[in-house]
Parts: sequence; structure tokens; C-alpha cells
Amino acid sequence: MSHRTKSTASSAAMKSKPWRFHRQPIVVYALLILGVVIVVVPLMWAASASFTPNHKVFEYAYPFSWRALLPVDFTLEAYDALFERGFGRAVGNTFFLAIATVIIGGGVNALAGFAFGRFEFRGKNALFLAIVLLTFMVPVDLTAIPRYILVNSFGWINTWQGLLIPGLANSLVIFLFRQFFAEIPQELIDAARVDGATWLRVLVSIILPISKPVLVAAALLMFISQWNAFFWPLLVAPTKDMRVVQVEISLAIGQYGTIWNELLAGSMIAAIVPILLVIPFQRYYVQAITGTGLE
Amino acid sequence: MRARQQIIPYLFLLPALLLLVVFNLMPTIATLFESMFVISLRSGERVFAGFANYNRIFNDPIFWKSLQVTVVFSLLVNPIQIVLALGLAVLINQRVTGIGVFRSIYLLPIALSLNVTAIVWGLMLDQNSGMVNGILLQLGIARQPFLHSVDQALWSIILIASWIGVPLWSLFILAGLQNIPPPVLEAAKIDGASAWQSFTKITLPLLRRVLAFVLVADTVANFLMFAPILLLTSGGPQLSTNLIMYETYRRGFLYGDLGASAAMLSVMLVIVFIIVGIELYALRGND
Repeated sequence: MSHRTKSTASSAAMKSKPWRFHRQPIVVYALLILGVVIVVVPLMWAASASFTPNHKVFEYAYPFSWRALLPVDFTLEAYDALFERGFGRAVGNTFFLAIATVIIGGGVNALAGFAFGRFEFRGKNALFLAIVLLTFMVPVDLTAIPRYILVNSFGWINTWQGLLIPGLANSLVIFLFRQFFAEIPQELIDAARVDGATWLRVLVSIILPISKPVLVAAALLMFISQWNAFFWPLLVAPTKDMRVVQVEISLAIGQYGTIWNELLAGSMIAAIVPILLVIPFQRYYVQAITGTGLE
Repeated sequence: MRARQQIIPYLFLLPALLLLVVFNLMPTIATLFESMFVISLRSGERVFAGFANYNRIFNDPIFWKSLQVTVVFSLLVNPIQIVLALGLAVLINQRVTGIGVFRSIYLLPIALSLNVTAIVWGLMLDQNSGMVNGILLQLGIARQPFLHSVDQALWSIILIASWIGVPLWSLFILAGLQNIPPPVLEAAKIDGASAWQSFTKITLPLLRRVLAFVLVADTVANFLMFAPILLLTSGGPQLSTNLIMYETYRRGFLYGDLGASAAMLSVMLVIVFIIVGIELYALRGND
């Protein structure tokens, strides 16, 4: 065994390191482009088809031609019809819900992250461990039924409270804030405390102004997960006037499943909002996603 | 002064803790509790039933079939996603011109919901005139039924889940790769290690923690796979994609049998406890 390892090592060294990727940028680019095709082609087709008359949605897809990727028979009819069905209501609902989550949830989670990041108190580690365990061991979808029964007993079915409040406390966001706040230099805080500022004042006027990276990351994480949330809104707010975008497009499959261009138009609206947020802020978004997992 | 300070962190924690207790902790306990009751969504009547719900689901071939489909799905989708995510992470970790643009493009699926992905790929895989069949036609390959076939439906779900999952998990692995100090790899190079050797002997062991995290997070996420089933297959054809999360929804919310649904969810909770527990234990030992 050890003999074999040795001989591979020496022969590999002689063969001038065949696995060194960056000596072969063509292979790297070929693979990168393959990945781009897999990611981009479905999206280009879906976007183009959403701007196409319904009877032509599959025209260039089967058999495949490049025209499938461009809106060659451009029309806005799918979007017009979609908004006539009241899709705008769902878009408005989802924006409202996501923004409310960012503002209220941001406050709740920042306070908790501040407590964990800057204070020593009895039970701190036990509490933190409990939250970590609860988060990773109990995915929220698995406990949706009793949450539904509880929210129902509050009379919150088909209400904003029912959609919003159960998801406000977000432990991943608490972890993000905690990590960032813990790294702020103590002198900044001490100076303000000597001047007699309350802790809440320290948080609001000293810490938050220098916390832009974590605020952006947390806001993106909360906004996008609320925008993309599906299971809970499906259970708790199924009626027409309370529906969110993800629920609306899921019901569209059953209700007008063969009006493909409208189905795709709804999907593209559901897609474009998070994409427009992620692209300019991708550094923050990547940090928000990975920062919560690697602790 | 000192005593007052002691209260402040608890006050800051209070709103979040209260919400977590009411909407996360209590429902966790209640899931186990509800599984002992028979309840009706419509009438709201609720009768203690002991282990009757468990008896019912354990004697129900549909539940076992669903669990079996879920296990097969997990054994396929998780290794596939992790191997591809590792490959993608290594790929986007290459320092070639324009890599930033590629990284941005690979972020696109991550920003999308599973619903959008399921709708777009559902139409891409359409058995009559979807684009995938359109491309196969150009290649001279016969039309495939995909989501409408007992043999291909689960694979189609795996494809849809992986379109988001592979780039998502590759982000974690990329972060892990970037945490490896360059001198470590330089030293290996000087010692004459091939890139493949330094990858298997140095990089992979250093990624162990990240990979363990990804393995568990991926396993749990796929264990709860729901939206593509609801939107595309309703568990069919012939229950071949009837993943357990969809089965609990079907039982609880379509048939109104919340007791059986809660019993299934309790079984799932126990399975997740075990999966995550093993990981936490394993990671604890390493440090």
C-alpha cells in the first residue's frame, strides 16, 4: 500500500502535475460555461416564453432552436392577463410582508444578537445552545401543524399577524448579529458608556451606524426568505386577498395550468425580485448564507 | 448599577426568546403531543387516542411506501449534490479571468424559490414539447416521459432539487476552501505532491467540518422536500415521488387527518434528531 502511494507520487511528479487546473484554463472555462448553460438556459427560456403568446410557448423549445431563448414573438399579454386576475395584490402582499419582516424581525433579532454578542449573563451559554439545537434539530416545517392550531386559536388564520409573527424571530439572523457585534472594539462602547449613554442608546447610535455589512446581510436574508416562503403561507393564508406570490403561482398550476405564459410570467415576477437584490449585494448575501452555517 | 446591568441582556433577549418559545419550542412539543390525539380540521373536535395514530400509520402501506421513497431519494440526491457541489466549489475557486462573473451567475438559482424552479423545470421536462425533449430530438433520442414515468419521476425531482442545491452547498464548500491557508498547499507542492494528491490528502481533510455540516444540512433540507411534489407530481405516478413531507401534508391538510399527520411528523422529528445529533456529536469529538 505504502509502496503504491510512493510510486504514484513520483510518477505524478514526473508527469508534470496533471491535475493542476490553472495550467489548463480551457478545461476550466469549458466546465464553467457548461454550468452557465445549465443555469441560464432554463431562465432565458422561461423569461422569453413569458413574453410569448401562449400557443407559441413551446414552438422553439420542441424541436429546440436558439429562438427559444429570446422573446421573438414579443407580447405583454401574459403579464396583462396575470394582473387582471389580481396578481398585483399578491405582489403587494409579499412586499409588505417581507419589508415588515425585515424591519420588525431585524429589531427583534438585532437585540438578541446584541445580548449574546456583548453581555455576560447567567445562563447565556445554555440559552444559546438551546437556540442552536432548536434551530438545527427542529426544521420549522415539521412543526407546522401545532403552529397552525395555535395560530388558529388566536384567530390569526388569513391575517397579517398569522403570516408575519411566527417567523419574526430568526435564529440564523441572531447568529449573524451576534458574530458581528462580538467583534466591535470595546473602546467604542466604553466611551459612550462613560458619557452616560444607556445600552439601547449605545446599540442605536454607536453600534448600528458601523454595522452596515451585517445589516445588509441580515436584511437580504430575511427579505429573500420571506419572499420565497411557501409552506407556512400556504397553510395560514390561503384566501385570495391574503395570498403571497409563491402561493399564487403554486395555485396557478392547478387553476390555469395550461396557460403556460401566465404561469411563467408569475414565476418570473417571483424570480426577478430576489435576483435584483442578490446581484448587487452578492458579497453580503453569500456571507449571510455561509456565515450562519460555519460556526 | 451592577444589578440593573444584569437585567438588561435578558430584556434584549426577551422578544426573540418569547417568539421562539411560543412559535418554535411549543409547537415542537405539541407535535409529539398532537400525535396522540385524533382531531378534525373541520369540526375542531379532539379526542385522546393514545398510540392509535401511530398504529394506523405503521399499519399503512402508503406510509411505508412513502418512507421508502424518501430513503431512496435521500440516498441518491445527497451524494449527488455533495459531489457536484464539491466539484463546483473547486471550479469557482480557480483564479481565472472573469471568475467573478461566473460566480454571480451561479448565484441565480440560489436566489429563486423551489416553486419557481419547479414550475420552470416542470415545463422544461414536459413530456410532449418541453425543451429537454426538444434537445433530445435534435440529438436523435426518443422523447422521454420524465415526470410522468414511474422510473424517471424521482430522477426529475432530483434534477430540480439539485439545480438549486448544488450551487447553494458549493458556497459553503467554497468558503471552506478559501479558509485553507495557501502556504499549506504551497508546501505540498514543493514536496512534489500532485494536485490530486494535495486535494485528497490535504484539502479534503481540511474540509471535513464544512463537508459534515453540508452533509447534514443537505440531508435535512432534502428530507423536507415538498414544493416540487405538490406542484408537479402530487406524489405520483403510482406514489413513486410521494415523499414523506408531501404525505404529511396530504393526510393533514387535504384529508383533514391531523392526528395521522402529526404522528408522521413526530417520526420525522425523531429521524432529524438522530441525523443532527450524530453530526453534533461527531463535530464535538473533532475539536
